[in-house]
Amino acid sequence: MLKGVHQKLEAQQTPAFFVRGPSLFSRVIFFCALSVSIMAIDARFNYLSHLRQAFIAALHPLEVMANAPSDWYRDIKKYFSAHNQLVQENYALKQQAFEQQVKLQRLDTIQAENQHLRSLLNGNVPLQPNAVLGEISHMGRDPFTHVVVVNRGSRHNIKAGQAVVDSKGVIGQVTRVYPFTSEVTLITDKELSIPIQIERNQLRAIAFGEGNNTLDIPYLPTNVDIKVGDKLVTSGIDGVYPAGLAVAIVTKVQQNPESPFAKIVSTPVAGVSNHLQLLLLQLPDAKESAVPQPAAAETTEHKKDNINDSNNKAKTNAPH
Amino acid sequence: MRHTSPVTVYLTLLIAMLCQLFPWVGQGIIFRPDFMLVVILYWLLRAPHLCNIGTAWFAGLLVDLATGSLLGQHALSFSITAFVALSYQRRLVLFNSWQLAGYVFALLMIERIVILLLKLFEGNENPGWHYFWPIITGLLLWQFMILMFGGLTRPKTN
Repeated sequence: MLKGVHQKLEAQQTPAFFVRGPSLFSRVIFFCALSVSIMAIDARFNYLSHLRQAFIAALHPLEVMANAPSDWYRDIKKYFSAHNQLVQENYALKQQAFEQQVKLQRLDTIQAENQHLRSLLNGNVPLQPNAVLGEISHMGRDPFTHVVVVNRGSRHNIKAGQAVVDSKGVIGQVTRVYPFTSEVTLITDKELSIPIQIERNQLRAIAFGEGNNTLDIPYLPTNVDIKVGDKLVTSGIDGVYPAGLAVAIVTKVQQNPESPFAKIVSTPVAGVSNHLQLLLLQLPDAKESAVPQPAAAETTEHKKDNINDSNNKAKTNAPH
Repeated sequence: MRHTSPVTVYLTLLIAMLCQLFPWVGQGIIFRPDFMLVVILYWLLRAPHLCNIGTAWFAGLLVDLATGSLLGQHALSFSITAFVALSYQRRLVLFNSWQLAGYVFALLMIERIVILLLKLFEGNENPGWHYFWPIITGLLLWQFMILMFGGLTRPKTN
């Protein structure tokens, strides 16, 4: 009889309206284990990238909906932008176009001359990267990573690894490609590094993103010839970034007595936050990127000329 | 417990997803509340028969897919938060609105800390104090949810 009472009490401990399947604790353990294993798979293997691509493609209509208000706002703002401003802009653009035309004329002759010299020296034809114009559709949604999302994807022949530039300099590299969009990791992201050269003395180095809008050039000795204000340009060694594109300007050089290396901090020149349009440069073919040794020496010589040229241009532009 | 229709739950979750996808420009991203988390928490606490740890986990997975971050980290943090939320869910009847806000504050804090730990394990830098702004904005969103859909318990009838 005592046993019977006990059974009754047991049954009453979990009344029917409280029973909700497995206990909370077992559920949370199950889901935690599931998410940890997914994280491990995602971090170590590439199995989930297809799933991600399919999901992002399916999400595209939702994304367009979410982007619609800001797009409308931009269109309306454009529509109502004052006549005065348009006239000014038109004038400025005309002037710019004229200046650039003058420069282009010189570029044509220089290019022809360069081609001729190269053919004389049996050198390779320099890379002429094709580019696709893209527009930033939004910044990355993860505040930890420095990523922008561009409205060009695998449908527009974008491939992972392509260099991305704007009118002022290098922005970053395409890291993930989805059907309609692609993710561009900025050079300030701590996962990205870029081979650079100091424009002033052609010193080669590699710049790493620091994750906070600056670049770091580590492992250079304390007596290295880098000054504040030096311009960093791409060296073109990797075959991804064409040589001579502006990357950053050195803002701080610090010698720490405890460390054998100098701490060199620079800020990127490309304005990611205030531009919408950017260029996605096509990856060079593997055949073309294999540049023979003598030709490489020749290119640096040529680059010096270019750099002097651009310095002169900068001076002439200064009074404007 | 108040009556809730599943349609409302899934519709609000869809809207939360849209808000999550909304383009946040520049510095605004610091203040962005965790739309998905707040909405999930609201329905977890109000209608646990419709919304469970599994729902929270799935919502977290969607957030991971949408943000392009490491798959599974929001899923993990959402399910842990949902577990803490649900383990005290039956006592919330006794809480007044201030206590409830404090409770939600603690839950949002747990989620932030779990994500922070995961990010630090991945090798990210310490993001600084502004990392915790979404808790404050999330609380505002919580109050908005209460305004829109009513409190967790049935209003007292005299």
